[in-house]
Amino acid sequence: MTATVAHGVAYVVLGVGVAVTLMSCLGVLVMPNVFDRLHYTAPASTVGAFAIVLAIVLREGLSAAGVKSLLVFVLLLITNPVLSHATARAARIRQFGHWVALRAERVEEWEADT
Amino acid sequence: MNGWLLGALALVIGLVPCGVVCSRGNPMDRLVGLEMAGTVNTLILLTLAEGYHQAIFFDLAIVLALLTFAGGLVFARFLERWL
Repeated sequence: MTATVAHGVAYVVLGVGVAVTLMSCLGVLVMPNVFDRLHYTAPASTVGAFAIVLAIVLREGLSAAGVKSLLVFVLLLITNPVLSHATARAARIRQFGHWVALRAERVEEWEADT
Repeated sequence: MNGWLLGALALVIGLVPCGVVCSRGNPMDRLVGLEMAGTVNTLILLTLAEGYHQAIFFDLAIVLALLTFAGGLVFARFLERWL
């Protein structure tokens, strides 16, 4: 009985995770520039990954599969902010020549260009 | 066909917007699409491993998460000035 309830909850949590990931894919598609797009990579690797990993742990318990999926979640949680920062920094260097904030950033002109 | 494989199939549909972003716009936009596709691919491998009940398949997701990170950093570094 308890196992059946846990399996049902796991499917619900899996559905939530898949829905969050699909929504953030759509967000990456519809946003106008790099910095807005980067915001939408975060929900997939935090909320979406957490929900999917939680569903797997609910199903498997802390077996080898559960521990490995928790490891994947921790890896995504650590690497995604680093990758977002590196990408935004590279985008600023392409735009301005360096990444430090300028007094007169012409963001509107740059957005009109791209 | 169980619920996990259906979830993996739904996540594969999520790769389509990432592919569209990768195939148009300026290089930085395409890089963001690539990183997003890497995250979605990791989640697809997780759900497929659970769907097929093979504990060894979870190693693929770990490897893909690490390689997406390394590849994204290399692309970001080279797209700063040289590409």
